[in-house]
Amino acid sequence: MFNLDRKLVISATAVTFAALFAVGCGGESTATPSKMTYANGKATIDGGSYHPIVDGKTGPYAVNTQKQSGFTYGRKPTANEIAAWDKDVMPDGTGLPEGSGSVEEGEELYEAQCVMCHGDFGSGGGGYPSLSKGNAVEGQKTLKNQRDKPDNDGPIRVFGSYWPQASTMWWYIQSGMPHPNTKSLTDDETYALAAYMLNINEMSIDGELVDDEYVLDREKFLKIKMPNEKGFEPNIDGPTALDDVRAYYANPTNFGAIKVDPKKRCMKDCQKPTAKVVRIKEGGGIRDFLPPISIVRDLPKKEGGFNPKAVYESTCAMCHSSFLSPGSSDWAGYTGKGIDKVYANGIKGTEGGMPAKGGSDLSDADFKLVVDYLISGK
Amino acid sequence: MKNEDSQLELLSNDNETSSRRKFFKRTASMGAVAAATVLTSKDAMADDPLIMHHVKWGQKLGDPVTKNRYGMPSAYEHNNTRRNTKLLASGNFQASIAVTPIHESEGIITPNGLFFSRCHGGVAHVDPNEFRLMIHGLVEKDIVLTLDQLKRYPRVTRTHFIECPANGGQEWRGPQFNSLQFAKGFMSSAEWTGVYIKTILADLGIKPDARWMLAEGSDNSEMGRTIPIDKVLDDAMLVWGQNGEALRPEQGYPVRLLVPGWEGNLCVKWLKRLEFASEPFYCKEETAKYTALKKTGKAIQHFYANEVNSTVVSPSPEKPWTDLKKGDLVEIEGLAWSGMGTITGVDLSFDGGKNYVEAQLKGLILPKSWTRWSFMYKYEGKPLLLTSRAMDDAGYIQPTVDEETGVLGVEGVYHRNGVETWEVTAEGKVNHVQLRS
Repeated sequence: MFNLDRKLVISATAVTFAALFAVGCGGESTATPSKMTYANGKATIDGGSYHPIVDGKTGPYAVNTQKQSGFTYGRKPTANEIAAWDKDVMPDGTGLPEGSGSVEEGEELYEAQCVMCHGDFGSGGGGYPSLSKGNAVEGQKTLKNQRDKPDNDGPIRVFGSYWPQASTMWWYIQSGMPHPNTKSLTDDETYALAAYMLNINEMSIDGELVDDEYVLDREKFLKIKMPNEKGFEPNIDGPTALDDVRAYYANPTNFGAIKVDPKKRCMKDCQKPTAKVVRIKEGGGIRDFLPPISIVRDLPKKEGGFNPKAVYESTCAMCHSSFLSPGSSDWAGYTGKGIDKVYANGIKGTEGGMPAKGGSDLSDADFKLVVDYLISGK
Repeated sequence: MKNEDSQLELLSNDNETSSRRKFFKRTASMGAVAAATVLTSKDAMADDPLIMHHVKWGQKLGDPVTKNRYGMPSAYEHNNTRRNTKLLASGNFQASIAVTPIHESEGIITPNGLFFSRCHGGVAHVDPNEFRLMIHGLVEKDIVLTLDQLKRYPRVTRTHFIECPANGGQEWRGPQFNSLQFAKGFMSSAEWTGVYIKTILADLGIKPDARWMLAEGSDNSEMGRTIPIDKVLDDAMLVWGQNGEALRPEQGYPVRLLVPGWEGNLCVKWLKRLEFASEPFYCKEETAKYTALKKTGKAIQHFYANEVNSTVVSPSPEKPWTDLKKGDLVEIEGLAWSGMGTITGVDLSFDGGKNYVEAQLKGLILPKSWTRWSFMYKYEGKPLLLTSRAMDDAGYIQPTVDEETGVLGVEGVYHRNGVETWEVTAEGKVNHVQLRS
């Protein structure tokens, strides 16, 4: 089926049109018109318009209509190369390796490598995502919440309450976490952190609560049922998926869109009588713009020397905003062995997750100034 | 004409004739004043020193052509820049967004240095010599390509905007940003050069049950997304050229995916891998994020196309009409765009979207591209509510805020395209407002 599609799509000369309800393209008269269906007669997948190649043009663009296949560039990857890069984990377990890890091990890893951003028990903070807001099943029940009135609570959209598949979490932890040093966790460590995630979301597997003693492995992982698995539309699974998606986007009301005959569009009294002007509240809104907004045409002010605070904000704040933040009293636990020890740890990096010089390429002297700023907050 | 350089100072616009006279007397010996100030007067009472004297750059030698071998904007343009806000950062500026100064935009192309930049694990700096692209899975032939090999494929060049589907997403419950840059700047537009993926696939051959394509980046976050095969075989491209040069690191150098008209997040940067499969991949950024929760409690996933949208660009909160006086003729100018097709028309309202008149499209009108529109207006010095509303050739028209929230609620975050309104005050100041129930 797709081979047929491809031939029709690619060949400039063989295209025949089965447009059912083509809408003319406005504007440029030299552009070829758009269609709402592909060459195979099916509606576009996104409900948008489509430009086949007609008379050497696709829409406004001229194309080379000579044969464009038969290229011999590149080579076949080896099986090892594919295995090295094909690390995705799919809902049916494809790509999920064998291994195991306990909630206890997961908590230890979490405290060492994750808590500085994701907060105690995944509470989040400082802009970092929350990993849990209590019981997943209860959280899922909040998804109809609307903050359309000032005192309303919003929906809880964390792993346990919102995500449709657990495979996403395992895959993402191993490929994208911890943020300053990704792809550093072993399979067993990833299972341990996954177990901890299930634990803090108060989830069960096969009727058994993932308690503090729980040990997770591949077999158990594949039995996880996410509370919000059925909370998404359109259907994207199975052999009918593409046609299901197509049907969904063929109906504008599914996704809040409006279609109209341009000649019949509203030109008078188009707002509801109840619609009022809503302004940004006095002193409200979001206004911490960096740099501050200005349209003045002048010469930039000269930067004044090395600025440890700016380095902190661009490089260190990722971890040192909720943990050992500038001027934090927690620094007392680290400076007891002398400031030189703190400098040395920072320059070399530590196993606790501190990358050498915070991943920066600062000189030792400048780096020490940043450390001084972090400890003093000044 | 000595000591002039030290007298450079900023002067505010002032339409009072008397103060203008004073101003010219006061600045009679100055070598540099804001030219716009002078030109607002059609009956200047004194000679303009900028005309009467040699300008400071007019007599000494300029820079040799050997300076700035890669050109830079004028130093005076330093405020025309991308901007951030901490509220749009996941705790740091490595998983964050820098937004485009739409209020300074000209035409339908964004300069590469101002193109909005969103990343999930910092901007990666890829060595092009170490770049590899692997295409595998449900294809008859797997392949690995170097950058040079990829660039041997026949090129296509297309002008498309890329828009983050969270553009305007902070404002479902009411206006938040008194700024065009932040209200609409999660998007930019460029002329892209690369190869259609369907061209490469013509040789690799797709297996019959290949319904989905995973695109994965090589960066810290290995950002990935699933694309349906229909789009892959339509106009999806692997691009390496942006506005006539290599992609910038912020846009995924050396190669990114371009999925014209669809969520910017699908245009995976620092690309390394395309895998074809029969089932979707459920990546983090198509489950945890980039899904739009409706008021039914169900969320729209695989919400592909950025729907028809528009904004007034001039005036804007950043560039108000405070220098205009009653009776001045002024162009109201804006942008319209649709990820679902070609813009066919834009209507403009002066009362917040109650009543509309037709504006005119101008310049190139291209599919899935920014399109400029224009309306000539005689300024009356009265308060206005400027609202634009665009239509596309797929038949869509922008909803009102009420119409959109009526279906989607206020928690969707993504794909907000209800009409936008600027309030112009009697003084010509411009504020972001919404008309809603």
